[in-house]
Amino acid sequence: MPRMPKRVKFRKQMRGKLRGNATRGNYVAYGDFGLQSLDTHWISARQIEAGRIAAQHFLRRQGKVYIRVFPDKPISKKPLETRMGKGKADTDFWAARVKPGTMLFEIAGVPEDTAKQAMARIAHKMPVRCRFVGRRLAV
Amino acid sequence: MSHEAPTVTAQLREKTGSRYAHRLRKNGHLPAVIYGHKTDPVSISVDEKVVLGYLHEGMHVFNMEVEGGEKQTCLVKDIQFGYLGDNVIHLDLTRVDLDEEVTVNVGIHFVGEPKAAKVPGAVVSHPLNELEVICKVSAIPDQILVDVSDMVEVYTVGDIELPAGVRTDIDPETPVATITYIAEEEAEGEEVEVGDEAAEPEVISAKDDEDGDDEKKDDA
Repeated sequence: MPRMPKRVKFRKQMRGKLRGNATRGNYVAYGDFGLQSLDTHWISARQIEAGRIAAQHFLRRQGKVYIRVFPDKPISKKPLETRMGKGKADTDFWAARVKPGTMLFEIAGVPEDTAKQAMARIAHKMPVRCRFVGRRLAV
Repeated sequence: MSHEAPTVTAQLREKTGSRYAHRLRKNGHLPAVIYGHKTDPVSISVDEKVVLGYLHEGMHVFNMEVEGGEKQTCLVKDIQFGYLGDNVIHLDLTRVDLDEEVTVNVGIHFVGEPKAAKVPGAVVSHPLNELEVICKVSAIPDQILVDVSDMVEVYTVGDIELPAGVRTDIDPETPVATITYIAEEEAEGEEVEVGDEAAEPEVISAKDDEDGDDEKKDDA
């Protein structure tokens, strides 16, 4: 089931703008390998779920998949053939805001080549260009 | 430090700032700064390939040979990454003495495969990939080897055999490697049909308003 917040302060949000690069959530934190976004986009809860299912089908109980983005932004859409006006429409879907550098998914407990293949499957479900990354250097 | 600290030659940076740093990076150099020991900080640049090679081997200490100056022992204090987190764009080096005690993060290298992880659905995860250790500069290990082949369910910080002269302040109960078992249904990625339109999150402000109205009614 696509993810969404349990409680929100307001039912609807303004669209906003996505500027710049990710300064948080931009490194592999929990797993061994990660899938990093190279573009700016809204990623819907359904797309995140599709990625998760694709990875878990491929991994078949081999590794653990971490989802690093959460769809907390309600996106509203007016129904078809509706006249303009009459206020803001109802929420159509929930989306995660993704900037270049955002870590989308992480995988732990599998070798690099398996993780790469799983991430490639997730990347096909994403509306952004992605790349496979490992952990950073320790200092 | 199981070996002699490598010697790295560095050039002084007379012009600092992002534009000059960018030019240096373009020419295969890495901007860096040396500070500490109550001496003025010095802006330098080093050969990117050489230094990154050493860093990937897990080295923390370098003998910096800055042009027109003496050799000084330096510890890598911080690494600044580019926005995508892969390219190193700046190094912070601090002057140290070899018998000075310092706190550094050392990468953990896992060896072996636990027997318990061969069960279907068992996943070995490494919540801790680097360990903060306290030791003399001359004793900083390049990596900490952790043999998990005899691990049952959890391998904690307390189970790690640290080299002589190296200690850690991390809680010994902190897990380094764990084996978790994934349930079959979860692994199948249950494609439960979605009633997402029906499911609506609770609105906190709306609830507050309703409560407020009720109170007003009660008052009336």
